[in-house]
Amino acid sequence: MSIDMTAQSTSPRLATARDYVELLKPRIMMLVVFTALAGLVAAVGMSGQGINPVLASVAILSVALGSGAAGAINMWYDADIDAVMTRTSTRPIPSGAVPKDEALAMGLIMSAVSVLLMWIASNVLAAGLLALSIVYYGWFYTMVLKRRTAQNIVIGGAAGAFPPVIGWAVVTGTTPIDAWILFAIIFFWTPPHFWALSLVAHKEYAKAGVPMLPVTNGAKATRTQILIYTILLAPIGLAPLATGLGGLVYGVVGGLLTLAFLYHAVKVWRSQAGEAEAGDAERKVAMGMFAYSILYLFGLFAALIIEHGFGLYFPLGAF
Amino acid sequence: MTEATQAPDTQTLLKAQKRRNAWLAVALIAFVVIVGVTTAIRIQETDFSGGDRLYFSGYMDEAASEKADRVAQERIAARQAAEAAAATEAADTTDNSDE
Repeated sequence: MSIDMTAQSTSPRLATARDYVELLKPRIMMLVVFTALAGLVAAVGMSGQGINPVLASVAILSVALGSGAAGAINMWYDADIDAVMTRTSTRPIPSGAVPKDEALAMGLIMSAVSVLLMWIASNVLAAGLLALSIVYYGWFYTMVLKRRTAQNIVIGGAAGAFPPVIGWAVVTGTTPIDAWILFAIIFFWTPPHFWALSLVAHKEYAKAGVPMLPVTNGAKATRTQILIYTILLAPIGLAPLATGLGGLVYGVVGGLLTLAFLYHAVKVWRSQAGEAEAGDAERKVAMGMFAYSILYLFGLFAALIIEHGFGLYFPLGAF
Repeated sequence: MTEATQAPDTQTLLKAQKRRNAWLAVALIAFVVIVGVTTAIRIQETDFSGGDRLYFSGYMDEAASEKADRVAQERIAARQAAEAAAATEAADTTDNSDE
């Protein structure tokens, strides 16, 4: 695959602390930390096992470091295509602020430190899962899937789904079905979330030669896939109610959020978002879906934290 | 992205490098402190006599977990039996010395 490298900055600029923070993909890191925290809190609530708050904090810090490390490795490998796309051309490596090798070294060192800290603070299972998630994102998704298949987001979505399972393993040293339900929620949430964005940015992906679904199969097929995955996600998002992981608060929050997510998916499906003749209104519909999907995931996991972390868990069976 | 930004001079580069080095030092110290505090807490919370292990407390499968629990229980039972035997022996010795 040949990529136009003329967009690469000709002379380097001085790196700031912000560049190094950006290298760690802080917005993804926040979501990763939040879902890991939700898994940890839910595990305490469900298992009745306690955890030293300092050890829990170190474990969450490890997850944050691991996420940042995977982000840095991803930016190192994708520097060529980032330089081509307008949205990513100002990132630290294509802008010339951070040398590629430095980003790779930072990613590798942080990976090792995060896994080591996780092992010291919790157990070998949590550390192993963290290592697996870093390898999954940094190598399998970034280097194997992303430039090869339109299903990159679907298969690669597993990388972002590990954090609540890691959080659970930190507390109990096990990964029961409830932890994997949280995994499944993020796994099925990722495609509609990311494809909504790619409906807007598909020209950029095409320019960079990344086979995102709207590039390979067109906007209509992508909108249909968004709807299908959202319909699949609906029962999975409410599955915690079946196992007792979610109580009354989760039921109310999850029910409302799911209905609104389905509404957004239908709206995108009926729109012309991603088509060549699509206007600003269509763009807004796709971006609205993208923004709402973040709120959806945040809302579900916040409900779990409220229930299990603040003593507001009221089992549905009691009603 | 083809803007011709002026390359920073050596003095500015050195200053930036010093700042980065300072942050690396802070990160290294933080790492040492975190490892130290974490290890201290883990040692405090671990019951070595009960079969706990410091850095391998998570199990990949139920069978391994059950086996570890069984081994720990056997160790505790053996220790209690040894203590009971020692106590009995001590009591016998006291009785004999009374006679």
